Amino acid sequence: MDHMKAKIDQACRIAEEFTKLYYETIDKRRHLMSRLYLETGLLAWNGNGVTGNENIQKFVIDLPPYRPHTAVSGQLTFMIQASGSVKYQDKTPKTFQQNFVVTAQGDKWKIVSDCFRVQEPLVK
Amino acid sequence: MPKPHFGNKQTTWVKDDRERDYRINDRIRRVTFKQNRQGGKKEYHGKDWSQAIREHLQDEDVDMGISSASGRNYNKNYNKGKKGRKGSPVPNGRRKLLESPTNWYKISLPHGDKFEKNFLLKVLQEKVAPLPFMPIAWQVFGTTCTFYVDEDKVAEKLRSLDKQIQLPNGFKLFVRVYPGSPNVDMNTELKEKIKLVMAKRYNSATKALDLTKFHADPDLQNYFCALFKPIVFLTVLEIIAENIPELEALNLFDNKISILSFLKKSTKKISNLKILHMGNNKLREMAQLDALQGLPIVDLILDGNPLCDKFKDQATYIRTSACNTWASTAPLIFLSAVRSGKRLPKCIKLDGIDLPPPISFDIAEEHHLPDPQQTFLCNSDGSSIVRQFLEQYFHIFDTDNRQPLLQAYHENAMFSMTMAYPYGYGKDKNVSWLNWYATDNRNLLRLQDPDRRSKLLKQGHLSVVSFLQEMPQTKHDIHSFNVDLTLFTPQMLCLTVAGMFRELKSGHKIPPTRYFFRTLIIVPAGSGFCIANEQLHITNATPDQAREAFKAPPPPPPAQPNMVAPVATTSSPSVPVLPAAPVIPAVPDAAMKQEMVQQMSTHSGMNMEWSMKCLEETQWDFQRASLVFQNLQSAGVIPPEAFVK
Repeated sequence: MDHMKAKIDQACRIAEEFTKLYYETIDKRRHLMSRLYLETGLLAWNGNGVTGNENIQKFVIDLPPYRPHTAVSGQLTFMIQASGSVKYQDKTPKTFQQNFVVTAQGDKWKIVSDCFRVQEPLVK
Repeated sequence: MPKPHFGNKQTTWVKDDRERDYRINDRIRRVTFKQNRQGGKKEYHGKDWSQAIREHLQDEDVDMGISSASGRNYNKNYNKGKKGRKGSPVPNGRRKLLESPTNWYKISLPHGDKFEKNFLLKVLQEKVAPLPFMPIAWQVFGTTCTFYVDEDKVAEKLRSLDKQIQLPNGFKLFVRVYPGSPNVDMNTELKEKIKLVMAKRYNSATKALDLTKFHADPDLQNYFCALFKPIVFLTVLEIIAENIPELEALNLFDNKISILSFLKKSTKKISNLKILHMGNNKLREMAQLDALQGLPIVDLILDGNPLCDKFKDQATYIRTSACNTWASTAPLIFLSAVRSGKRLPKCIKLDGIDLPPPISFDIAEEHHLPDPQQTFLCNSDGSSIVRQFLEQYFHIFDTDNRQPLLQAYHENAMFSMTMAYPYGYGKDKNVSWLNWYATDNRNLLRLQDPDRRSKLLKQGHLSVVSFLQEMPQTKHDIHSFNVDLTLFTPQMLCLTVAGMFRELKSGHKIPPTRYFFRTLIIVPAGSGFCIANEQLHITNATPDQAREAFKAPPPPPPAQPNMVAPVATTSSPSVPVLPAAPVIPAVPDAAMKQEMVQQMSTHSGMNMEWSMKCLEETQWDFQRASLVFQNLQSAGVIPPEAFVK
């Protein structure tokens, strides 16, 4: 059971470190986003799918400036779920939820998949 | 006229009319003085004066809500004005009706209750003609009838009619005029009236609502329902949001609107507005348009607002009288003020004139967010599995007994829940509190204690399902679901599902509408699938979401480019998602794996990393892994580093 506890602790630590890094990067250093993803990584942004780390970086750079505030939860499989609010330019902040599947590649953690949803009705 | 003469006359007058002077007391001494001067000149002033006193006493009887003294002064001064008050020390302004900044005036008719409304209005109308006479919000308070008019000229004219109209009972009609407008008391009855008038003025074909001179609508004349009052405007917006959210064109011509700043938080109620005609209002500063920021307005009319005059002063412009439109360079200056900052950057038509398209820098300031899609599937093969899995899962979840979900979870499944209030709708009296969920909230940013973090992670399907059983009863709106399948491999699926549900029997007066966001790692198990890992986030539905929840399912969406295959329309052979028999764990637990890797390593001579890889690729089927190893080994394709320990 101690073994399991250690893994949970590790997952939590990774979750904290990862979300800090991820949201700082998307906020301030979007040109480095591709490094966070596997080459074959996938992003589903409000139902819009983007595959490949370079494509994801391009997609993310094209999004308006972004200011999220987050809360996270993570566990053993290094699946991380976050929620918070995001403000695109001067629009009213919106609530979002996001999850990541993060895996180790060599000595680096990489995003396998990233699913982002803004909390609002689809049809207005 | 020499001064002494003047004083002399006054003395004379006071002597003559001493009695009356006492009656009118100190409060109107100044008036007395003026009367005296006039009285000295003209014979008939004595008579007028006594009338003024009667009038004064009259005023005392009726509570007008506005200083009766000023009302009296107006009337009297006005009447006397033309009859020789030349050289009066009193400023000229007092002779005129105080101009109302809103152009609204209250008219009161003391003792008007003795006559029929229609009779009085008819009499006044005849006298006011040819000016348009439009009495608004007729009411009787005690013996006084009141109503409102919205034009300076009409108010002025009405004031001049004071004591000019002979009534059938022998008296003359008093007409008092005060600048101002009443407070509006918005209630459901008035809102219903407004709604009916709006329905009458809405053109669904063009999505256009014409609220020109709204307060003058014959169906609203009995109320004070002017759009310059924020409460009236906001009520109108509310009705738009509730009934015609698709509204694209709004005509607010001639409504005396002077401020818009109160709209700032309500613009999303008219988020589709492209055409806004605001001619002939009272907008004084361009900054008022800031409140409209974010609206996709392309066609704007501001002609006839005081703010246009500012631009008239700043730039030489010619207004061609024929079409009354902007010419010369003024429109560009005006336009840049309209488009400046983030005000209305998309405006391409101003006061009816097509304008040059906005020129911006190549680095676009305006980013367009990609439109949200309901579903994303990284692999269309997953669609039927996903659909059936979710249907079955939520069908069971919405019943009293969630125990059958044991079969939906892997024996070693893990589950973690978080909660938060959506932005802008925090924990206050207007929202349904999420207290139930707060107790087990595993938000790592809030929860620092490692023991608590570990404890709140439900481990094992028994623990997970017993927690699910404890959760409040629910009814999910499956049509509201957003579904994203982001991983689809033979070993596992990563599925995200989000949507709305009603929380039932949880002690709330009205079942709260909540929003959930779940991430599921689904693995094959026996003949079906089960959840190995789940993260559930619970929050309240925003008001926008709550409005859309539990509506009839929308028509099937058109093919979306990003969607590999729409979930709802794919038909495929039934996949037994939740097997009837208890799930045989397809994936061994971590300890078991460790042991298998150890055995594989001993058996094959490969190091732990490669042994694990081999087992992973054969889905932890030890026999198959051994076979694959043997085949690859004999083929000589296993790299030497696989054997480096």
